[in-house]
Amino acid sequence: MQGTALIFIIFLFSTVVVVFSLWWNFSLRKEIDRKEEDTKHRMYELAVLKELGDRISYSLNIEKIADIITGSLGQLIEYDVSAYMILEPDKVFINIDLKNPVSADFINEMRKRMFESVSALLGKDFSATKREEVTTGAIVSSEEKDIVQSFFNIPLVIGDEVVGVLTVADRRGGLYKENEMTILYKIVAQASRAVSRLREAVMKEEEKISAMIETIRDGIVMTDRDYRVIVANPSAKALAGLKKEERLTIFDIIKATEGSIDVRGRLEESMKIGRTFTIADVLVKDQVFEIFVAPVKAGVGEGIEALGGVIIFHDVSGEKAAERMREDFVSMMVHELRSPLDGIKKMGEFINSDAAICKDEGALREYMHMIYDSSSDMLDLVNDLLDVAKSEAGKFDIDPRPTNLRQIIAERIKFFETVAKSDEVELASLFGEHVPDEVFVDPGRIAQVLNNLISNALKFTAPGGKVMIQTLFHRKGTNVAAEASVAGVEWFVKDGDDVLKDHPDCIVMAVTDTGEGISEKSKGMLFNKFKQFEASAKSSKRGTGLGLVIAKAIVEAHEGKIGVDSREGVGSTFYFTIKQ
Amino acid sequence: MKILIVDDDKIFSKVLKDGITAKGEGKYEVVLARDGEEGIEKVKKEHPGLILLDLVMPGMDGIQFLRKLRTIPELSDIPVFINSQMSDIKKISEGLELGVKGYIVKTDYSIDDIVRRIDDVLLDEKE
Repeated sequence: MQGTALIFIIFLFSTVVVVFSLWWNFSLRKEIDRKEEDTKHRMYELAVLKELGDRISYSLNIEKIADIITGSLGQLIEYDVSAYMILEPDKVFINIDLKNPVSADFINEMRKRMFESVSALLGKDFSATKREEVTTGAIVSSEEKDIVQSFFNIPLVIGDEVVGVLTVADRRGGLYKENEMTILYKIVAQASRAVSRLREAVMKEEEKISAMIETIRDGIVMTDRDYRVIVANPSAKALAGLKKEERLTIFDIIKATEGSIDVRGRLEESMKIGRTFTIADVLVKDQVFEIFVAPVKAGVGEGIEALGGVIIFHDVSGEKAAERMREDFVSMMVHELRSPLDGIKKMGEFINSDAAICKDEGALREYMHMIYDSSSDMLDLVNDLLDVAKSEAGKFDIDPRPTNLRQIIAERIKFFETVAKSDEVELASLFGEHVPDEVFVDPGRIAQVLNNLISNALKFTAPGGKVMIQTLFHRKGTNVAAEASVAGVEWFVKDGDDVLKDHPDCIVMAVTDTGEGISEKSKGMLFNKFKQFEASAKSSKRGTGLGLVIAKAIVEAHEGKIGVDSREGVGSTFYFTIKQ
Repeated sequence: MKILIVDDDKIFSKVLKDGITAKGEGKYEVVLARDGEEGIEKVKKEHPGLILLDLVMPGMDGIQFLRKLRTIPELSDIPVFINSQMSDIKKISEGLELGVKGYIVKTDYSIDDIVRRIDDVLLDEKE
């Protein structure tokens, strides 16, 4: 009897253990499964939310965003009907999407509750506001009398602004508990974040573009499809003769261009066919412009409608002026060469035709002399023009070799001695202590530079004046003018001006005169071939006017710098550096 | 009869002077001036019967000389020919507006022709 009882107890015990372990296993499993389910669900949620964020990033349109949201809702929550309400400045937009057919009453109830919550949120009654409503999805059944048993409303917040509500409703009760509500909140929060970020990015870009448009020299005018001006930058307003605060209209543009271009017509065409037009040589006041008319499209690609147009006024007056200068230069050059040539030809004809002249030796000699002078002048001009052309083409060659500077200067002084004497101007030279005996330069060309500087100095110095040629060694960090002064020559540089201070060690040659000096305005044009040529052609003084331009080319071919300073009525100093 | 040539081009002036003197058969004595300023001086001093005027000169140019001349009553009637390059169309029309009697193109002229024209103009003046 005891044996059986024992077996029974053991059997019972083991059953209990087995059952217990089975049960324990089972609930563990359930736990794991649930956790797995949870995680899967969470991951799924995250995936949906991420996709939501991505898709919203492509669209700033609130309605589109709401559509995207409701689209994702169905993947996470159950409902019969989902709806959203967007508050626009002049109306309320309602979108109702039926997943399952419900009655009209159901929908009305939903709508009523949506309005109530929006009114409560914003403290304003929207029920009377103009409404636009769209219903999609399953049909509204006219028979069933359903009631809203489950309802959940969530405000749509973009940035800090309540723009509407998002609603889900169902005929079954008890559907929307914490879980579902949390998901809805997360979705809307995600959407709100995405939009905020996007808005920030757009605002930054807008700021950048605004800043650029405000300061750009070109005049920019943007219009909408109805040719109303929506953007006009300060340059455009200035062009139209308006002040920054005034509003610019299309008529101002028509007036400014004196009706020479059909602004409206061009805009229309541009927007219609999506092409950019360029109109050249438009006169506005006394400046020349190139005008671009282009469409402003909503997106890239064909067939995208134009939102408006943009007109850009590009000032080409500078370029035109430069072009004109170049043309003038050429025609002046031709004139300077043609006149003497014509003269020589005429002289030849004359001598040929008039036998009497041939017998007059004095007259013949006079003619010969004039022909010689003219030919020399022309040859000088041609040589100078060639030098300038070579320098501009980057083909200015120099032939550097060991050169004794003292010798070059001595030769130049000898050359100009007679002229200086007859002009009653003292010509002298000073050689600094540390200047090396030989430098590596092109002797002919450096002589040419000195020639030009000395002849200019003599030309512009009145009798009793002095022209000094100074050579010195400049150490980096020292004031050249001071060094010159120490050596006994006063340079005519402005007080405090220290042009070569940071220049590395080099040799400096300077020609200082006590002549009429150069005005600030003229100083800037000294090395400008156009200005110099023009001035020389108009003046009666001999010379091509291009000497300084060529001197600069020579100095720069030697990797040196050339400069000038002057005090009007007192004197000038032209200096240049020679590499060590 | 004195003829004044106001021109900065030495060769042109010389050729004209010698040419007119020779072809004019002694009728004309040619006087030269280098620019507008000198021109006005010479007009006052020499009282020429005709002026050959260059338009493009340094300092006071041809048009300025003409304007100045027209302000001096006893001298404003002297007939004037303009010498110019063909390209100075604008200046030529300015000169014509100021009542010049003709123009000589510097790039293409003949002494015979010029002397003939001078003869004609001075004949008209006499009448």
